[in-house]
Amino acid sequence: MIALSNIEKYYSNKGVKNYVLRHVTTQISQGEFVSVMGPSGAGKSTLLNILGLLEQPTYGKYEFMGEDVSALKESKRIELYRHHIGFVFQAYHLIDEMTVAENIEAPLLYKKVGSAERKSRVADVLDRFNIVAKKDLFPNQLSGGQQQLVGIARALVAQPSIILADEPTGNLQSAQALQIMDLFKKLNQEEGITIIQVTHSELNATYGSRILHLLDGVIKEDEAVLA
Amino acid sequence: MFKLNLKIALRNLWKHKVYTFINIAGLSVGMAGCILIFIFIRYQLSYDDDFSNKDRIYRVVSNWTYKTGTDASQGVPIPLAAAIRNDIPQLEKVAAIQRATGVLASLDQSGKLRFKDYEAVYLAQPEFFEIFNFNWLSGKPARDLIAPNTVALSEKAAIKYFGDWHNALGKILRFQKNEDCRVTAIFKDRPENTSLPLDVVFSYATFSLKDDKNFGSVRSSSECYVLLKADAQLRVAEAALAKFNDTKYKNNDESGKQYHTFQALNDIHHNGNYGNFAGRIVEKSEIYSLSIIGLFLILTACINFINLATAQAIGRSKEVGIRKVMGAERRQLIVQFLSETLALSLIAMVLACVLTEAALPYLQQLFDEKISFSLLQHPVIFVFLLGLVVLVSLVAGFYPALIISGFNPALALKNKISANSSAGLGLRRILLVLQFTITTVLVIATLVVLKQMNYMREKPLGFNTEALALVGLPADSLSQQKHLNFKARLLAIPGLRQVSFCDVPPSSNNVSESDFSLNGARNKDFQIRTMHIDQYYFETFGIDLIAGTALPKSDTANAFVVNETFLKRNNIVEPEKALGKLLTINDVTAPIIGVSKDFNDKSLHEQISPIAMSSNKWAYYNMAVKMDAHEMLDVMAAVEELWNETFPNDVYDASFVNDDLNEYYNSERIMGVLFRVFSLVIIFISFVGLFGLISFVTTQRTREVAIRKVLGASTYEVVRLLNGSFLLLVFMANLFAWPLAYILINKWLSQYAYRIDLSIWPFLTAMFISMLITLLTVSLRSYKVAGTNPVDALKYE
Repeated sequence: MIALSNIEKYYSNKGVKNYVLRHVTTQISQGEFVSVMGPSGAGKSTLLNILGLLEQPTYGKYEFMGEDVSALKESKRIELYRHHIGFVFQAYHLIDEMTVAENIEAPLLYKKVGSAERKSRVADVLDRFNIVAKKDLFPNQLSGGQQQLVGIARALVAQPSIILADEPTGNLQSAQALQIMDLFKKLNQEEGITIIQVTHSELNATYGSRILHLLDGVIKEDEAVLA
Repeated sequence: MFKLNLKIALRNLWKHKVYTFINIAGLSVGMAGCILIFIFIRYQLSYDDDFSNKDRIYRVVSNWTYKTGTDASQGVPIPLAAAIRNDIPQLEKVAAIQRATGVLASLDQSGKLRFKDYEAVYLAQPEFFEIFNFNWLSGKPARDLIAPNTVALSEKAAIKYFGDWHNALGKILRFQKNEDCRVTAIFKDRPENTSLPLDVVFSYATFSLKDDKNFGSVRSSSECYVLLKADAQLRVAEAALAKFNDTKYKNNDESGKQYHTFQALNDIHHNGNYGNFAGRIVEKSEIYSLSIIGLFLILTACINFINLATAQAIGRSKEVGIRKVMGAERRQLIVQFLSETLALSLIAMVLACVLTEAALPYLQQLFDEKISFSLLQHPVIFVFLLGLVVLVSLVAGFYPALIISGFNPALALKNKISANSSAGLGLRRILLVLQFTITTVLVIATLVVLKQMNYMREKPLGFNTEALALVGLPADSLSQQKHLNFKARLLAIPGLRQVSFCDVPPSSNNVSESDFSLNGARNKDFQIRTMHIDQYYFETFGIDLIAGTALPKSDTANAFVVNETFLKRNNIVEPEKALGKLLTINDVTAPIIGVSKDFNDKSLHEQISPIAMSSNKWAYYNMAVKMDAHEMLDVMAAVEELWNETFPNDVYDASFVNDDLNEYYNSERIMGVLFRVFSLVIIFISFVGLFGLISFVTTQRTREVAIRKVLGASTYEVVRLLNGSFLLLVFMANLFAWPLAYILINKWLSQYAYRIDLSIWPFLTAMFISMLITLLTVSLRSYKVAGTNPVDALKYE
């Protein structure tokens, strides 16, 4: 599904190149649950941004579903966001002025889903995540775990083929973190959604099927997690 | 999607209540100013707009070129209408109309007086009503307004004199105590916005001077209107009129070259060179300056909006990031932000309409006109409101929408977009400077306008204006015999000091000018103003003589008193040298026996004229009454009683000289009020915007302030840091404003012959005011930020 070959990313500062990623080459297939790990400044987030087309690599080739997306036009990229990629953030990033239901509905609006189907899909997701009672609340009325639940619901409602999660439990207490990770695992195993998460936690990484260890922009280790 | 966007927009506005309030307050006040200006201008441009032939109607006017300048009049010689009717084939209709004022009285069946009033009346040729379509309730001008001694009335006048217009038909209306006319036609009332406020129209055949043949005499009361043929070109008609001028005035030996031109109907209300019957003129230049003020208002309000919105943008960056990764196109985001602006503008517009409605009575009072804010009556106002909302939304909303929608989602989601990096900052500075430049220009202009008005109020005019009243007198031969006896009885009233008969007060726009000869030598360069006064005039008005004596007691002109300007213009250096010279005016020759000090004989817009004053009891249409200042009301009541007793068939008319003088400066008074109000409004808008902006900047710099405080900066130092940049910007705005204001003000002042000298003070005052308010506004906010505990700001990093 994803093929990275020789991805490099650096920032030039007064002629000095500061490398963030070097020679990153890897493949991720449909249905995998990959955790990216590494110390601060290893390039985890940059890698995730490149995977999510939020940043462009300086060199290298990135194929998404068999298509070269290293330098994609804006309109094509928006198409991918609408149909294939869902984001989950450490800080949840819900829109404060929208209720839970409206937040979940928002991506469907951009996907131009009809009103009736929107309503049913939002209801469906609310139901599945057990947050029907909270649908008219605003994000600041929810706990962190509940907010992240809404964040994931929002990512899922557009039925993406891949979810990119940047430290999804970083701001959560451990009990809530476990809940979220269980949910990811369930989504991966039962619905076959590809998930790539950046995490600091060894424990969280074990929920996935594969771990990429990043150090100073280089993939040091690519290990499979044993079930 | 739009519904949701609107919902979110409203929630957003509610969340940032202070900024919403600032935005809406600024916008609605600016819009209200704009709407008021628009409806005023719309009203002014609607003058004389109700005639079906309006595009082909022209007025013939008179112009003169002298060696020393030009002159113009709305009037034409009486025989002109008949002459051009024959000579200019491009004209379909030509009509003369004459204005007169006098006592109008209605008589009942038995011939007894029913109601009388002093009134302006008109004498019009029947063609006049073929040029201008009036609505006739009864009668036809082509049939009923041809014979002598027939009169048509407006519905209003018919009701005034006869109680009901049906009753009025066939009744007798008496003009000036001797001319009995039969009411033959009734027309619907003229609207307020007309330069032809006709209520009483006599047939032209009634006019005693209708057969006058003198092309050399032009009265402003004799107008002539023409209707151009539908297929004729104005250019051709103008050429024909020029040819007519050449042949008619070829052997013109007058001191000025006289010629006639056409004036378009829609120019009559807007051209101050010529007058009109309604006496109302709003110059195009006034309309332009008002439009500019309106533009300034809306511009400053929009700048507020742009500044606040771009500053606020940082707060929206996260939302933009999220929406982008959800698959929002930039176009969709722009639409979203524009719809937020639209919502805000709509709210502001509703408020602006309320403000307009509230301010309208003051506007009507200020301009003394019935200006309407009815959307149904004038759909163009509705179009304007709609246009204003759309324009403001676009002007104010587009740039911020462009900036906000352009955020890089990766940076936005990581909160890496700051006030400084979000572009905008440079632009915000430029806009702030622009805004304050406008504000400062207006403040300087206001200060100067007020100063000039004050100067005009306080400038010594060369004669007394206090406790002086001017009372109209009938001057027909019968009344004239009563004058002296009347005066004797007046002088018996306690508190009444002196009475003087005259044709005009020392300063008056009622000017008669004449050619003259000095010691037999005819002057061809300029005319002099003539005034007819009795021997008590100088005493009554407190005018000083610098040489010779006042006029002797006389009924006719047997001596002249001239003013200093007369000497100057005739190159006489020593006043004594003028005494004894023989002055000839209108075939009357008499010696100059005195020279008066100069007094302002017209408004301060104009220079003092050369004047010759003489006695002439046939021209005493007025008397000046000098009173004790504290007994004015009692004296005036006694004068009125005695007047009505002496002249029972006339209508009493009196005014205070001071009030009449103030009439000159009506337009200045209005300008003064407008400038004061609008500069306050613009100051309000600008500083409200500044307050909003500083609020954002201080919030943005909270962390920096906290770090500085941890490093040991004092509250004062922090406040100075935050204030410094704003003070510098406002100072720069002042520097830009000065030359601009200087040019504009000099242009405005140049219309006054008597004006203040421009000093540096208004400029310095404006700078002081703007800097002071800036300092207060900004300190209010920055002091609060500087006082917070740095721990609160640094904790969450």
